[in-house]
Amino acid sequence: MLRHFTLIFAVAFLLLIGGMAVLAPLLPLHDPVQMDVMSRLGKPSLTYLLGNDEYGRDIFSRIIYGAQASLAVSLSAAVLAAIGGVALGLLGGYFQGWIENITMRPLDVILSFPPMLLALLAVTLLGPGTGTLTVILAILFIPAYARVTYGEVLSVRNLEYVEAARALGHRSGRILLRTVLPNVAGPILVQFSLVVASCIVLESGLSFLGLGVVPPDSSWGLMIRGARPYMHMEPLGLLWPCLALVFTVFSINRLCDFLRDMFDPKASVAAFTLPGMLAGQRLSRTAHAMSRKAEPDSLLQIRDLTTEISTPRGPIRAIDGVTLQVRRGEAVALVGESGSGKSMTGLSVMKLLPRRIGRIASGEIWYSRGEGENARAIDLAPVPASHFRAYRGRDMGMVFQEPMACLNPVYTIGYQLVEAITVHNNVSKAKAEEMALAELKRVGIPDPERRLREYPHQLSGGMRQRVAIAIALCGQPNLLIADEPTTALDVTVQAQILELLEDIRRTSNIGLIFITHNLGVVAEIADRVVVMYCGQVVEEGSVEEIFYSPRHPYTRGLLASVPKPEDLNSGEKRLASIPGTVPSPLALPPGCRFAPRCSYSTEACSVAVPELEVVTESQAARCIRWKEI
Amino acid sequence: MNYVLRRAVSAVATLFAVSTLLFLLLHIVPGDPAEILLSGGGMAPSQESVEALRSQLGLDRPLWQQYVTYMGNILQGDLGNSFQDGAPIAQEIVKRLPRTLELILTAALLAVVIGMPSGLLAALRRGGFWDGLFSSVSSFGLSIPVFVTGTLLILLFSQILRLVPAGGFVSFTEDPVQHLIYLLMPAFSIAVSLTPVVFRMVRTSILEFLEKEWVRTARAKGLGERSVLVRHVVRNSLSPVVTVLGLHLGTLLGGTVLVEYVFNWPGLSGMLVQAVEQRDYPAVQGIVLVICILFVLINLCVDLLYGLLDPRVRYN
Repeated sequence: MLRHFTLIFAVAFLLLIGGMAVLAPLLPLHDPVQMDVMSRLGKPSLTYLLGNDEYGRDIFSRIIYGAQASLAVSLSAAVLAAIGGVALGLLGGYFQGWIENITMRPLDVILSFPPMLLALLAVTLLGPGTGTLTVILAILFIPAYARVTYGEVLSVRNLEYVEAARALGHRSGRILLRTVLPNVAGPILVQFSLVVASCIVLESGLSFLGLGVVPPDSSWGLMIRGARPYMHMEPLGLLWPCLALVFTVFSINRLCDFLRDMFDPKASVAAFTLPGMLAGQRLSRTAHAMSRKAEPDSLLQIRDLTTEISTPRGPIRAIDGVTLQVRRGEAVALVGESGSGKSMTGLSVMKLLPRRIGRIASGEIWYSRGEGENARAIDLAPVPASHFRAYRGRDMGMVFQEPMACLNPVYTIGYQLVEAITVHNNVSKAKAEEMALAELKRVGIPDPERRLREYPHQLSGGMRQRVAIAIALCGQPNLLIADEPTTALDVTVQAQILELLEDIRRTSNIGLIFITHNLGVVAEIADRVVVMYCGQVVEEGSVEEIFYSPRHPYTRGLLASVPKPEDLNSGEKRLASIPGTVPSPLALPPGCRFAPRCSYSTEACSVAVPELEVVTESQAARCIRWKEI
Repeated sequence: MNYVLRRAVSAVATLFAVSTLLFLLLHIVPGDPAEILLSGGGMAPSQESVEALRSQLGLDRPLWQQYVTYMGNILQGDLGNSFQDGAPIAQEIVKRLPRTLELILTAALLAVVIGMPSGLLAALRRGGFWDGLFSSVSSFGLSIPVFVTGTLLILLFSQILRLVPAGGFVSFTEDPVQHLIYLLMPAFSIAVSLTPVVFRMVRTSILEFLEKEWVRTARAKGLGERSVLVRHVVRNSLSPVVTVLGLHLGTLLGGTVLVEYVFNWPGLSGMLVQAVEQRDYPAVQGIVLVICILFVLINLCVDLLYGLLDPRVRYN
């Protein structure tokens, strides 16, 4: 509301002041330079709307004529600078080499002078006056435009079609102009309004020093300069030009923000908050963890879990009634296309959902602690995220997809490991470093002493993922959630990481949730597989069941799209893929969510969402026709 | 090390370019330099005075000789003598420079002390009351030119409330309390324009870094929210904030001209404005050169600090 109001105000104010400045000679204004000794420092009256200045001149009329001077200087300087800057940027970016040096380097020298100083230098040499002012302001702001244009040219000149055109012998200069100019139009417009505002500020500042607009011409800076000695007698005379100046600059800045948002929509995506989420993100039910006697062997039991994410177009259910179970020492693979909700399931368990826009809406997450008879299961779902750190790291650890992005670039590997160790163990720094070394050895990092002192960017991708795994294991968790841990790595490194995870699971008897879209990986690591589609579990079963007797058409589709050696040999068969795309979570089909893409679907499929039906003791499928498949 | 050396070399190169430009400017301007400098009052200068100035400045010698002498003098710390009273310019600058620096550093300190916590709060409570309030105040602060802030502060605190003197200066050794009182309003005027810059940068980078995956890793480790914020969000946001602050300190070096003028603060700028009015080119040249050296040095410090804050810069 406030944003709209200020924007409307800004536009209205600029139109008003600009319009009056342009039409000044036609308006019934007093002569701005005509002195009236009788009404020196006069109060506002019907004749003199804003009063009179120290020479008895009409303040209102001087404000309007001041606007005229200010806008004339600033607009012409901004236009001149734009022409010069865009030309230099195009030349420098397009030709590169020595032309780049003679066009772009001198601009750096301009930038190494504070603008005000360069202006003063020029005034010393050329004397004050509007002409000098315009030229010097134009020169000052050339670099701003040149840099924007230059950057855009550089990014466009290597685009494929420009290179293709060049290879074909086309006049790529013209192509460049045609592609670059429309692209820079937005940024240049933003720059233009910024420059106009800066010019107005500089012009008024110089005039205020008596080195800009020359009296008796009017300028806001000059008016402030003139009214200053009389502020104790008539403060209004000082306030009017100050207000005019501040409102003008504010309005231009506001307009500039608006233009920037318009040309760069990314910058302005507002936060959308679910109702009631600001108050501590907790569920309305209960803040206390419920506990019960644990079922033997069970480590994690998720029941009917629903997680909501708010989007600009309304809340969506990222996961919708998911039920799954992980036993001690068991590896469960969570499989599905992107958007199936598999990562969200992992993040929900860790309570690491996107800040302020994600929350667990309903369901239970029973987690078992302790051994044998004493084992207790706790429902983690109602535990608020703020209290959840007691579980993270110690009970459950998580490894993410991008090992580079997951490690903080400004700390050494050692620091980040020690940090994780000291959270969970009350040990000295020396002891923690010793433990960190042991952790690095455990995940198979060669020369661990050296690696401890290195930064993430000095390690290879596979190394970083090993470090990330070591960090996740620091608190000896019972459950490890690995979210696509091998996707960003090349194939040989992938195999090593899988081997490492498998090894850790065996030796430490921890439960593993392995999230992936790659079924090939699943066969190597998982005991059981849970297939997800559109936030729901559509099928689950042992690895053998899923691979050899899949009951859900979606599982079959996923399996068919994995390249098999015999397909490669036969040569003629094309790689199968599931037709269609994943539906938008905002427009889910009624009934079975896979029906629109399914070759087995019938009318009955679209009537109601099918239940997860038991197929065998360990297998279940969410399909009304699973028996026929 | 390599990084430090590279930065230092580029700083020296910039300074060389700037001093050369300052030398050339007088000769690039069309017309006879001596005549230009003497025609300030609008009257044509007499032939004798032009000749006298020409030999005083060495303008009668070949350009390259003038240049060599000029650079040699600069390297020895000799910036020539003022037109107005013949006093050595370097001496006057040495006397006034610390006062300008004091003003700027106080303003920068104020800006950081106010801008960082408010930026952090606004980012953490994005879309909330404080975010709205701080953001509106900052966009207003960005729109007020420094000399307007200064003048209005004088109007309010000196004229209407009569709390503090309208301007002036007492040296710290003479009367520390009074010195600080005089420092308050000019430093605050500069801070009004600088704080919004710091605030916006802090807010943007905190929001950006909050979404980083290493923050999620830190939470997944079991770190407390405070440690996550301080070590993995605020610490990382220091680099961009330092960069922006450094860039704006340079602009401020120019902006102080106005503030010192408004508050009669006897720093470099008062000297500069007077020199410009009198068309005292050697003095203007000297002051601008010194300020540019400062500007380059500040940027060098920022670059080095940046390297210190971000290991990726150091090692590449």
